[in-house]
Amino acid sequence: MRVTNTIIYDTIKLRLSKITEELNNANTVVATGKRILKLSDDPVGLAQGLNIKSALSNIEQMGRNITLGKSWLAASESAMSQVQDVISEAKTLSVQMANSSIDDSERLSAAETVQNLLEELVSLANTEVNGRYIFAGSETDTTPFNLESDNTVTYNGDNYAFTVKIGKDATVEVGSDGEAVFRLGQPDDVFRAFDELKTALEDNDISGIQAAMSDLDIRFDHVASKISDIGSKMLRMEMKENIFQDLDLTNTERLSRIEDADITEAILDLQAKELAYQAALSSASKVLQMSLLDYM
Amino acid sequence: MSSGIGMVLSIAKDALAAQQYGINVTGHNIANVNTPGYSRQSPVLEAKQPELYGGVLLGRGVDTTQVLRVSDQVLESRLMQEKSDMFSFKEMESYMQVFEGLFNENSESSLSGLIGDFWNLWHDLANNPSGTPERIALYEHSVLLCQQFNALDGELSQLNTDLTNALGGGIEKINEITAEIARLNNEIAGQEVDCIANDLRDQRNTLASELAEHIDMKIFEQSNGSYTIVSAKGCVLVNQNESYDLELNGTAVEWHGSGSTTVDITNYITNGKLGGWLDMRDEVVAKYQGDLNALAEELIWTLNQQHSQGVGLTAFSSITGTYDVSDTGEALGTVDSGLDYYDKVSDGTFNVWVYDSNGDVSGSAVITVDADPGGTTLASIAADINAVADINASITTDNKLQIDADAVNGFTVAFSDDTSNVLAGLGINTFFQGATAGGMGVNDVIGSSKDHIAAAQIDASGNFASGDNTNALAMTDLQFASRSIGLWSCDRREGNTEGTTTATIEDYYHAMVGSIGIKAASISSSRAFNEVMVNELKTMRESISGVSLDEEMTELIKFQNAFAAAAKLISVADEMFDTLISVKQ
Repeated sequence: MRVTNTIIYDTIKLRLSKITEELNNANTVVATGKRILKLSDDPVGLAQGLNIKSALSNIEQMGRNITLGKSWLAASESAMSQVQDVISEAKTLSVQMANSSIDDSERLSAAETVQNLLEELVSLANTEVNGRYIFAGSETDTTPFNLESDNTVTYNGDNYAFTVKIGKDATVEVGSDGEAVFRLGQPDDVFRAFDELKTALEDNDISGIQAAMSDLDIRFDHVASKISDIGSKMLRMEMKENIFQDLDLTNTERLSRIEDADITEAILDLQAKELAYQAALSSASKVLQMSLLDYM
Repeated sequence: MSSGIGMVLSIAKDALAAQQYGINVTGHNIANVNTPGYSRQSPVLEAKQPELYGGVLLGRGVDTTQVLRVSDQVLESRLMQEKSDMFSFKEMESYMQVFEGLFNENSESSLSGLIGDFWNLWHDLANNPSGTPERIALYEHSVLLCQQFNALDGELSQLNTDLTNALGGGIEKINEITAEIARLNNEIAGQEVDCIANDLRDQRNTLASELAEHIDMKIFEQSNGSYTIVSAKGCVLVNQNESYDLELNGTAVEWHGSGSTTVDITNYITNGKLGGWLDMRDEVVAKYQGDLNALAEELIWTLNQQHSQGVGLTAFSSITGTYDVSDTGEALGTVDSGLDYYDKVSDGTFNVWVYDSNGDVSGSAVITVDADPGGTTLASIAADINAVADINASITTDNKLQIDADAVNGFTVAFSDDTSNVLAGLGINTFFQGATAGGMGVNDVIGSSKDHIAAAQIDASGNFASGDNTNALAMTDLQFASRSIGLWSCDRREGNTEGTTTATIEDYYHAMVGSIGIKAASISSSRAFNEVMVNELKTMRESISGVSLDEEMTELIKFQNAFAAAAKLISVADEMFDTLISVKQ
């Protein structure tokens, strides 16, 4: 082929601009550590990356939800086990007081203790987490239980349990409908058992005290079943948490594989481009110098 | 003429002239070594007609008959076509770089990040439904999200305007070029009565090539040497010494023929910069702007639809809808109503609850909605709500629904269980307002009181609790709910059509960004491919028509030596004359 001066100049220009561009790209990859710098670099990888990022953001949120749920469950569990303690205490007291050798004044002072225990029970039923009542249903801003002057307990919450979301389609009730938990108004009303025990003590009614004893056993078992219910929810939360932690790790790894440049490879690539650039420059300078005029 | 010494002189004179022409042409070539579009020229030397003398044919020397330019018109034409394609892709590529930058998802303010965080903030609200910080954070972030949609839409509109402006500039350039080609046609036709107008033809080819960079064109050479240039849709741009202008009419490209004929050729231009700009404007930008709007439209609707089912921390003392109708007497479920989301309104019912100053339910009503023509209109729904005690419903001057509770006596109003979607359709108790990417915003009602963010739902007896997160949880469910979202396909010849695809809001956006990347990559690779073709053809053209200095130097020496020899011939003839004269003495 007939090669003219313009062909030589144009070819040199084209080659140099191509190599400079490649050199620049290689350099940017090394400098940023990212493989995808603009959408068109790897559109498919980019879309995958976006999906993973949004999954990661969701996983993080689920982690926060679970932490919150766990704090509610832990508070419920601790409140309920304290309720159990209060019931056991009342039970122990009633066993002592059912003994016929106990006199009126001792029973009267025991009645006082039972009243205190009832008040403690109500205060446990009004347990808060971060300023939110956990046994109030969805009325989490309202004090749910109120001990009236006639020793009856009224409920100001509602019957919907507070729920957190711990997965795409998974929700867990972490708050409770207090009315159901404490069986308010039911035959096995937890508060009423205390009131009945107190009345029996005041009345020196040994058979009444004995009846209250067995009632307390039933309440104890009821609370125990609630605690195990909370425990199983806690377990579910922890399992979910572990799953999310694993997912977080695998997704972060996947994202890195898609987005991040292999630094060793990138640096080798940069060096190769540098070498090519230098070679192109030196060959260009030689070719450009040559002319027939030099020999005329 | 005899074959005397005079003949020798005559031959020498012609030879001197011929070699001098040769040096002239070589010099011209050297001078134009860097002139774009120049074709090297070479003198055509011919031996003169011999003469019969003394029974022999004697040569009479040399003659320069013409100067030819070395050019391959077929190659030139192909080069122009390829250039035309390349410039189309080149322009698209450069605008695509701007376009890609708008959707740069690596930045903090990327839409995909904002959407992800938006859902997370609903989770946070669900975790603490009565929390003021959660409500403010959600509101502020939603404003940011809307602004990002607005900004993207604005940028795309700007890109559209920029492209139309570029068209205007391109058309001006085309008109200049065609006028110049018409002038050259005239000159060439005049000059070529005698000989070939080499340099003018090169100039004209350069202009034609520049024209091809701008728009589709085909060249037909007439017998008198002038070019007839035909562009998109068969419109003649140049004929003999006449040129016909293009004009930008609004956003369309029009061809103005002789007389008052105008032809809209917008959708027929496929090549050159104009083709690239039009493809970019009417196919790429149009498609993604349509998609962005479809996404915004669906995001707004989905959120509003769920939001209108819920209730905030307090009921409303007064509320005005955000969506207006064009005709208060047309059924809300029909297009004639002029409601943005008319197609979402269906047959169904919703509950209106009225609360007294203590917050206790004082009255309620079930409102029935008939979406079919002749069914519930804005006027009739206002009348139905108005019939409920202690609240007053009216139609504002801009045709929106307004509901006021008897505020003097402390009454408030709320809604629940809307199976007709009419509340969301009218923008009552909604989260967003607007129906497009450019027009979307957070409902002003929420802007003025974050308490109206509906995290709770009203139960069957009309009660609602501040700690209820039922509706907020339902909002978070929307993140993973697939829905049917509009998907545009834009084609300048076939027209634009809106299909649908089923995806979640986020997946749709991710797919959209991916598709923009794929488009950009495919444009870049087409450009690269065309560039290789153009370079190859350019090299071929150069190889045929280009000036090689080495060659010209050799030519120079060749002609110089021949010139010296011809000069020697004169001195020999002179000596011969001298010899003859000396014989006589």
